[in-house]
Amino acid sequence: MTFPLLSLIVFLPAAGAAVLLCLRNDDAVRWTALGFTAVDFALAVAMLAAFDTTTHEMQFTERHPWVPAIGITYALGVDGISALFVFLTALLGGICVLASWVAIDRKVKEYMVALLSMQTLMLGVFSALDLFLFYVCWEAMLIPMYLMIGVWGGDGRVYAAFKFFLYTLAGSLLFLIGIIVLYFHGGRTFDILALSAQDLPFDVQSWLFFAFLIAFAVKVPMVPVHTWLPDAHVQAPTAGSIILAGVLLKMGAYGFLRFSLPMLPEASVYYSTLMLALSALAIVYGGLLALAQDDLKKLVAYSSISHMGFVTMGIFALNLRGVEGGILQMFNHGVTTGALFLFVGVIYERTHTRSIAEYGGLMKVAPVYTGFLALFTLSSMALPGTNSFVGELLVLSGGFAANMAVGTAAVLGALLSAAYLLGMYRKVALGPASVGARYQIRDVNVREMAAILPLAVFVLWVGLYPKPFLNVIDASVSHLLTEVHGKESGP
Amino acid sequence: MTAAVLFQWMLASLPEIIVITGACILLILGQLVREEQLLFWASVAVVLIAALATLMLAGEVRPAYSGMFVADRFAVFFKFVFYLATVLTFLLSRKYADIEGIGSSEYYVMLLFALSGMMIMASSTDLLSIYVGLELMVLCTYVLTGFLRHERRSNEAALKYVILGAVSTGIFLYGVSLVYGLTGTTQLDAMTAAVSGDPLDPGLLLAVVFIVAGLVFKVGAVPFHMWVPDVYEGAPTTVTAFMSVGPKAAGFAVILRVFLNPLVAASDVWIIVAVIAVVTAALGSFVALVQDNFKRLLAYSSIAHAGFATFGVVAGGADGVASVMLYLLIYAFMNLGIFGAVIMMRSGDFSGEVIEDYAGFAKSHPGLALLMLIYLFSLAGIPPTAGFFAKFYVLTALVERGFVFLAVVAVLLSAVAAYFYIRIVMVIYMREPERAFEPALTPFVRATLACTAAGTIGIGLFPEWFLRLAQQSVFGG
Repeated sequence: MTFPLLSLIVFLPAAGAAVLLCLRNDDAVRWTALGFTAVDFALAVAMLAAFDTTTHEMQFTERHPWVPAIGITYALGVDGISALFVFLTALLGGICVLASWVAIDRKVKEYMVALLSMQTLMLGVFSALDLFLFYVCWEAMLIPMYLMIGVWGGDGRVYAAFKFFLYTLAGSLLFLIGIIVLYFHGGRTFDILALSAQDLPFDVQSWLFFAFLIAFAVKVPMVPVHTWLPDAHVQAPTAGSIILAGVLLKMGAYGFLRFSLPMLPEASVYYSTLMLALSALAIVYGGLLALAQDDLKKLVAYSSISHMGFVTMGIFALNLRGVEGGILQMFNHGVTTGALFLFVGVIYERTHTRSIAEYGGLMKVAPVYTGFLALFTLSSMALPGTNSFVGELLVLSGGFAANMAVGTAAVLGALLSAAYLLGMYRKVALGPASVGARYQIRDVNVREMAAILPLAVFVLWVGLYPKPFLNVIDASVSHLLTEVHGKESGP
Repeated sequence: MTAAVLFQWMLASLPEIIVITGACILLILGQLVREEQLLFWASVAVVLIAALATLMLAGEVRPAYSGMFVADRFAVFFKFVFYLATVLTFLLSRKYADIEGIGSSEYYVMLLFALSGMMIMASSTDLLSIYVGLELMVLCTYVLTGFLRHERRSNEAALKYVILGAVSTGIFLYGVSLVYGLTGTTQLDAMTAAVSGDPLDPGLLLAVVFIVAGLVFKVGAVPFHMWVPDVYEGAPTTVTAFMSVGPKAAGFAVILRVFLNPLVAASDVWIIVAVIAVVTAALGSFVALVQDNFKRLLAYSSIAHAGFATFGVVAGGADGVASVMLYLLIYAFMNLGIFGAVIMMRSGDFSGEVIEDYAGFAKSHPGLALLMLIYLFSLAGIPPTAGFFAKFYVLTALVERGFVFLAVVAVLLSAVAAYFYIRIVMVIYMREPERAFEPALTPFVRATLACTAAGTIGIGLFPEWFLRLAQQSVFGG
């Protein structure tokens, strides 16, 4: 029996949560949580180091019967696509703990327990090879996230938590029916690989495609089911926003990649134009909404909708550049938007306002802060040399190859993102000091630096030398596309 | 009839005999000794001895009393659900009965008689023995509902329950008489053999509809649900907890036996059942949205759950039946758990019946709040709790039979239901406390909460054993 590395990565945070339950001191809780996430990240790095990039096969697989009576197994494994997100989730885990260090000052233990359980469930989603296991993790996540928003959030937290919960639940339930239908069509198995290998009649594929679409579209979120996102983001504590933007939104797109494309290839190709149109709509509409925001967090939230539009566009371009760009963009968005939410949180802790109008001239009082903010803002608008440039370029070239009109709309969206991001930066960082003078703002401290630096490293690393990242996903994406197009052109 | 046969018959019904004998002895004992502690432990002992007897006899199928009665695995499964419900109710009652002043020996005796009625129901294979079990059970629950003699709403609830219950029993009996007139028998198996012609004979259909109506009343499904909220609210909370789990499961045991009888299964009754399922789940979920009283909310929630379990009846087949059985077992754990939490809150002038009273409970009692959270999320059907698996298995059975549309309706209604459970979680976790809480955490209540929590989480994470148990218990097995 091989060493169950993936299980360890997935369940280490849960073990950490169990340990936390026995602690009493708030500081001990914080350090323990940080310790567990750091070790988890180290394990994820080890996993990536041992990852074989030449094959599309699932690696580090583990299989144990769970409920054999109806064919449910506890099956874990990663391919290039999921490995990247296991890594991203593990990375953001520690950063979330750091981001909550002082922002969360009551019920610290409960908060960290929720955070670490989230971590386990998210890692479970990305490494599950069994649909039932996947769904359990996917859905169970609602509980800690509901509590994180509802207990530790802002003033409108209760409303936001409800909205988040019900939206996501209602979306997922049709997915559940879809899973069960798939189970019977696939010969009573929940094995994702076995289900991907079979051919379904087109009408079944169509129905399932839309059942899955609702669940994934809510998570991504795609316009018009995006309205929970701004509320949830604005009200969530900083770490909640980072998790939402960095990981949760990725799950929808991951769902498309893991289920819709390989299991329902004909429907995916057939409806790809619709999906491209919805993506373009999200890009432009999200961008326009972001342009009109005064609340910093809302601005980043709407920009997320726009940027996730790029991701879905890349995926449904259904060509190599598009899909690779989409996946890379998912990673980039996790890093960059996670960082932007972190920055909003950092400044909010000092001034307790998120209104852009009240800021100005931060450059003078917090040069390090504004310097890094510039880096991430530029990354978010995809300046060459930063990570998003590589991803967006790939997506755009894939998008143009798939559909000219959609590609053009996306370029327009990219322009919009430059407009609102630069506008935001100008108002916050440049000009005469306003809030800074009133609040005596300190620059970033060591703890915040520790959270920011790793993200900054990835911004530049992916921006300047994306090859290692593309290498990881390359074999899996190529295989995925041959699956999609091979089946489609087949009998 | 030889003595040997009689002995075999009595052996088959040994658990029932134990419970009834025990109850009779306790009734007399209760008049002689006033030691409540003793009566309590004796009642628990009776149930445990019966459980032991059931377990020892579980090996084979034992028909008895000329086809009136059978001790098969199906019955054994249900009997264990009943034992669980009864013992946990005893444990919860210990302190609560003191507070409410209902701790007389009759209270325990009534519960034991109700238990014996439920056991007979689960084992019956004849419409008349079903009737005997049913009446034994409901007569006790009528009395138990009115146990708070000095409270007006308890009396009112009991009266309502008696009148409506009597009517529904009458309807049931009328259906039975029609069946007897048409087929010449009341035995479930013989009925099928006696019908040679068209199963859609209007007379027979009418008879089946009457029987359905009588049975549906007992599980509190629409349109015979009117009594549920009033009775659940008026009855002592421990009795409510018991009724929402035990008698409901017993009703489903009978429904499964009757409905899945080939005669009924061949007719189009399933359409009626499907409509009942949809309407019940919908009404329970939607009306629960606007409840402020915890017990009323749980009453509507139990209607909604009855609806969901009825979906499993609609699915039919081995998986359908197993899904209903598993659902009822899991429901017993989570519902007794949440009722245990409500009962525990009863102290002094604090009734614990208004949802808003729980505001900020998580702040002072994080552990208990977490338990309530687990039960509520389980009732809402969120993984990884057992409630999710119960619903999942029902849905699987529905889809297997091709009822995808019903499955979609079922999940959408459960999303509605999720709202009011989550609302309670919100009150517990996200409000500021307005009062100090003094939950009566006696060792008995602790034991109940530990047992139900273990069931709610344990079955959720490792459903295999329980699933197999339910699958193997389907009809004799």
